[in-house]
Amino acid sequence: MTTSRPVRVTVNGVHYEAMVEPRMTLVDFLRGELGLTGTHVGCEHGVCGACTVLLNGQTVRSCLMLAVQADGASLMTVEGLSREGKLHPIQEAFMEEHGLQCGFCTPGFLMSTLELLQHHPDPTDDEIKEALGGNLCRCTGYQSIIKSVHLAAEKKALRLPHWIG
Amino acid sequence: MAVATIKTPADLPVSAPRFVGKAVNRVEDPMLLTGRVEFIDNVVVPGMLHCAILRSPYAHARIKSIDVREAEKLPGVVAVITGEDAKRWSNPMSTIPEGWGGYCLATDKARFMGEPVAAVAATSRYVAEDALDLITVEYDPLPAVVDALKAMEPGSPLLFEEKGTNVILHRLFTWGDVDHAFRGADRVFTEKFRWNRLGANPMETFGCVIQWDVLDGTITCRGSIQAQSFYAIALAFTLGLPTNKVRVISHPHGGSFGGKGNPRGLTIAALVSRKAGGRPVKWIEDRMEYLAAGGSQSWDRHYEVSLAAKADGTLTGLKVTLVDNLGATAEGAGAISTGKPLAAFTGCYTIPVAQYDLTIVATNKLYQTAYRGMGPPPHFWVLEQMMDIAARGLAMDPAELRRKNYIPADRFPYTIPSGNEYDSGNYVAALDAVLAMGHYRQLREEQAAARKQGRYLGIGVVNTIEPGVFDWNAYAIVGMQGTGVPEGATVAIDIVGKFIVKIGFSLEGQGQYTVITQVLADYFGVDLDDIRVVPLDSVSAPPHFGPGGSRLGVAITGAVLGAAQLLTEKLVKVAARLLQTDPANVELMDGKLRIKGMPEAAMTVAQVAGAMLGRSDLLPPDVDPNPQATYVWTAPGRTVADEQGRAKSYLTAANACHLVLVEVDPETGKVEILKYFIADDCGTRLNPANVEGMIQGGVAQGVSAALLEEYIYDEDGQLLTSTFMDYLLPTIYDAPMTEKRSLETLSPFTPLGAKGCGEGAMHTAPAAVMCAINDALAPLGVQAREVPATPKRLWTLIQEKRA
Repeated sequence: MTTSRPVRVTVNGVHYEAMVEPRMTLVDFLRGELGLTGTHVGCEHGVCGACTVLLNGQTVRSCLMLAVQADGASLMTVEGLSREGKLHPIQEAFMEEHGLQCGFCTPGFLMSTLELLQHHPDPTDDEIKEALGGNLCRCTGYQSIIKSVHLAAEKKALRLPHWIG
Repeated sequence: MAVATIKTPADLPVSAPRFVGKAVNRVEDPMLLTGRVEFIDNVVVPGMLHCAILRSPYAHARIKSIDVREAEKLPGVVAVITGEDAKRWSNPMSTIPEGWGGYCLATDKARFMGEPVAAVAATSRYVAEDALDLITVEYDPLPAVVDALKAMEPGSPLLFEEKGTNVILHRLFTWGDVDHAFRGADRVFTEKFRWNRLGANPMETFGCVIQWDVLDGTITCRGSIQAQSFYAIALAFTLGLPTNKVRVISHPHGGSFGGKGNPRGLTIAALVSRKAGGRPVKWIEDRMEYLAAGGSQSWDRHYEVSLAAKADGTLTGLKVTLVDNLGATAEGAGAISTGKPLAAFTGCYTIPVAQYDLTIVATNKLYQTAYRGMGPPPHFWVLEQMMDIAARGLAMDPAELRRKNYIPADRFPYTIPSGNEYDSGNYVAALDAVLAMGHYRQLREEQAAARKQGRYLGIGVVNTIEPGVFDWNAYAIVGMQGTGVPEGATVAIDIVGKFIVKIGFSLEGQGQYTVITQVLADYFGVDLDDIRVVPLDSVSAPPHFGPGGSRLGVAITGAVLGAAQLLTEKLVKVAARLLQTDPANVELMDGKLRIKGMPEAAMTVAQVAGAMLGRSDLLPPDVDPNPQATYVWTAPGRTVADEQGRAKSYLTAANACHLVLVEVDPETGKVEILKYFIADDCGTRLNPANVEGMIQGGVAQGVSAALLEEYIYDEDGQLLTSTFMDYLLPTIYDAPMTEKRSLETLSPFTPLGAKGCGEGAMHTAPAAVMCAINDALAPLGVQAREVPATPKRLWTLIQEKRA
């Protein structure tokens, strides 16, 4: 074991400071140290995308990053989407189009969708596939997810929360 | 007490159902979408330790010694266990068939790569994994056998030396005069096929938090467990505890498809908890553990199939010889996948006689586990290819050969040669629907035109049965006992009229809490928000199994409606007293207890329940004042299997007809799916969006079974596909978008006429895609007989033909 190092991050607008081992992954830090368990671990080798979070506004796989690499960053996780008991439009769209079944991969899909809609407010099927091509879902067969993203685009109001760079 | 079956949604005690049959939003979704569902790895219990498991790097090796002393010295390590602890504190893992297994930790030898050898409990997973590196195991590697056909040869390495053979089971089942049928046939078509291993791979792996309190003699186990009471009993047997001392709490889990549990991991975590003085222990299987040693692998099959036909296309007999490579032990319930095909052996067809020559073989691969469909998907994959082969041989259109042999819609209930009874169906209607959707004739013309341009388009039209509502008797041929799988629910009304439904299973993804809510809301004429579904643990809930075998939508509907009906009987008695009439004059309609013929003389359910709980002075002396009732539903009319395995097993027979258009690139062997149409009939659709989700998810899994997924071992038994980089799950690019139509041929045997629908498309899609590939390659004289039909496999076949 090596000496712990400080990690200072903002997650969903809240500032955190903690001492962590350099080997701790970002997803273990979010889940285990900060208690933000909405981000899930599906493969731990960067393929499934369940652990996708936004780091300074861009999607990253939190299982492939170390917590110390995120020092100083602004992060957003699925917990940052809904506000005061109201679902985010992307979440509403996934509910209305049945874009989830077991829901384990869903936080990753939501974060990838959020990033997509910043750049493509009205994405084509191909743009959706490109953005979500790195997220695996074993339940839905993806058709309802594509519909969900289209519906999310229709719902507008998709600017990132102000605390995200 | 039995209740009368409510046969259709129109028979519910409301003027018009508001929710059943509607694609209402799922009650599960807000929690899932916000990341607040308590998946097992989110659970933290005071005093909890973390477990990591050391696994054999060899597929077959004698264990000479294990030295754990250095691991025990590592700060933070609380307990280390080996096979010696397993022998001391547990029984061997139970197996089907019996007698082909070992302890949860290898004792004398390891039989597959990844078999658990030792385990650690420590203050963190990081420390526990550090400790694994400090354990020294001395192995004496043995020759491995991974091929089932080689494992049957004399002189093969033996998995269990004392057995003297690797053949776990060999049986021949004959249903009718098969020899006569084949002697009298005009044509007999025979082919060999190979279905390679694949498996479930839910996005969440297995996990548990378990505490073995030695003083109290109890186990408390939380886990991503599909069938909690089943696991509780198995755990009690393995650990030598009374069954009522084991409490299993099923947590919401991130998918299962049959391949979720890990009884070994659970048992190991229990033993390490005991060794750690009874502290709770969390074990979360990682993905590489899942792929190599979890509930990940199913169906590893060598087939030889013969189909007898008359010259006019009438099918007269079917013979299936199956050698299934079960892997290192029989502990994963994989063998029952060879039994389930009896529930639908002859598919949609009137084939009158059949034979099944079944051999189950042990090898040094991982033991098999359940996977969506539980065996029939490969069976239909070979049967439906035989239909296309026969159609080519008879110069008939493959869709028309099928039509000619479908069980006619007026012959249900229909008993098939292997003993099961299909409840209802209209296969011609499904075929016609899908041919119309896909413009089949036009597609054939496009195909012919494309061939002139050197393009290889292929069409597959396949209709299969989805046996629904599983029963243990379906697996009698491999040693499973019992008839009937009870599912219970308690429906309660509180003092102000809100409803609570208590059941014995957790969320898994199919939306059953929503279905419960829809059904109950329409029964009592209340809103969805008036109902809350509460899962109870294995010792608290009424008898239950939970999801599995396409059963729960039907079974829980039966349980909830039965409980509602029993509760209504109580409400009627109280209401009659309060309305000053005879109970025979009172009925429930639109959420009110009313005097028949006097709609204005009515009380709401809430008023009656309130009186039961808050106005004892008004109650008749002989009434039960408890406004709740429990009903345990089980499938009616099931029978014990005879000596040839024949039984009325699965209660429902849904069916789906798929039409697929593919293009095969002969230069690369790559398959592209161009169009995909589905006509699906699973009786009443309680929530059409749920059903569509099951279908579309099953299509993705079925297509990738045909094209992508395969567990590859080398000849030493090393797994070469041990990450998601090598074991290919379908991405958003691989799953075809489908056009769907629904038919509703109600089941006459189930509540509301619904049929099991959780596994459907997995039965059909692999066959449909394969038939389309072979249709495309027919002009080249190429017949693919193996899945997945990877580019390399197809390209090699094409090249061989060209050479």
